[in-house]
Amino acid sequence: MAETKQPLIGLKWEPKLPGLSLDLKTGSTRSKTAESSKSELVDGLCLPPNDPRKINKMIRKQLKDTTGSNWFDMPAPTMTPELKRDLQLLKLRTVMDPALHYKKSVSRSKLAEKYFQIGTVIEPAEEFYGRLTKKNRKATLADELVSDPKTALYRKRKVREIEEKSRAVTNKKWNKKGNQSKNTKPRRN
Amino acid sequence: MKPPQRGRGGGVRGGRGLARGGEGSAVRGSGRGGESGRGRGPGRVKSESDGGIKGGSKVLVTPHRHAGVFVAKSKADALVTKNLVPGEIIYNEKRIFVQNEDRSTVEYRVWNPHRSKLADAITTGVDNIWIKPGVKVLYLGASSGYTVSHVSDIVGPEGCVYAVEHSDICGKVLMNMAEKRTNVIPIIEDARHPAKYRMLVGMVDIIFSDVNHPEQANILSLNASYFLKSGGHFMISIKANSIDSTIAAETVYQMEVEKLQMEELRPTEILHLDSCEEKHACVFGGYRLPRK
Repeated sequence: MAETKQPLIGLKWEPKLPGLSLDLKTGSTRSKTAESSKSELVDGLCLPPNDPRKINKMIRKQLKDTTGSNWFDMPAPTMTPELKRDLQLLKLRTVMDPALHYKKSVSRSKLAEKYFQIGTVIEPAEEFYGRLTKKNRKATLADELVSDPKTALYRKRKVREIEEKSRAVTNKKWNKKGNQSKNTKPRRN
Repeated sequence: MKPPQRGRGGGVRGGRGLARGGEGSAVRGSGRGGESGRGRGPGRVKSESDGGIKGGSKVLVTPHRHAGVFVAKSKADALVTKNLVPGEIIYNEKRIFVQNEDRSTVEYRVWNPHRSKLADAITTGVDNIWIKPGVKVLYLGASSGYTVSHVSDIVGPEGCVYAVEHSDICGKVLMNMAEKRTNVIPIIEDARHPAKYRMLVGMVDIIFSDVNHPEQANILSLNASYFLKSGGHFMISIKANSIDSTIAAETVYQMEVEKLQMEELRPTEILHLDSCEEKHACVFGGYRLPRK
């Protein structure tokens, strides 16, 4: 009765050395030409590592970095200079407007720093006249906050105040001219 | 007496007429502009968004401390939930459109704390709302389904919301909302008689009770005995005036908590929602919790 040859899989793979073939059962070497049809595996077969830790590492690399099922697998974006600037600006937004006060965002996990998405607000029909016009819309959050006229006025005022403070204090008596200076003698008529 | 002069401009929506006048004019409707600019045409309506997030502006959406809830950060912050049915709005709320790097699109809906007690509780700083993706919720007093729609967003497609509402008028609106949201099961029945809808509702993880009724503690305990799992959780919003308007709100809350404790409902947290709702409190707790 003819035996059906099953294809070799997994760890029964034998390396194809030129002119030699290793017998798995006996361990003896035989010529490859006689048993050329025996091995049905393709050259260059890549076996997975035996170590389960390494396998888990490989799987983890293949998976996308997300928040998990609790937040509907929100993906972590690739950090660009623009995104970094936006994040930094949101951290320092307390300085932008004196009228607005924010809660300290103390989160239990560092989710907010790693996982986020940048989106655009779609206003309902009734707020058509309260929306930003196409001219005022900007590509990034930072550009939007910088171009805001209210914050611009406040920013300019603050910059002016800081400049006045940091300006080198000159000796005022040298600035006095004419009648105001002490050195000039009163004229006689 | 001379009739009021009808001038150009004025008015909230522009056009002619006796609406608000222009710059410092004593005569109604006279002068140009008013709030609306010049002459005819639609004027600028002062909207909710003036102080907060305007349409077309960019926002940064980050996960909130509570599962399934997100925060939209910009010059002003907003609480948002991921829209289960993208493109659909319930009550003219703002939406946030996000396009990921892999070209997939996500939509979030803004959750207004002034219209939802649960959203108000989250913004006030509740420790745990217990509602998260995949849980089953029984919502008593669903009304038009405003908060229900956001709860259905949080629990996601794997979860389920049983929305019980007695009123037929609100029930119609609720049914329309539930047509598009597959995880909402509307039940137009009286919450005082849970036996009437016992065949529709399975065992749930959380009961949210928003019934303005003097016997709301009893209604909650009765529904909990039918449908709430042991070790499940409950939330009840208490309006002091609907129970007893003659005594102090604090006393009313204490009375309700005592009623709940008698029925194996152990309150763990009481929140006063005075920021948006006056004389309202939200009680969070567990049902038949294992003793430590």
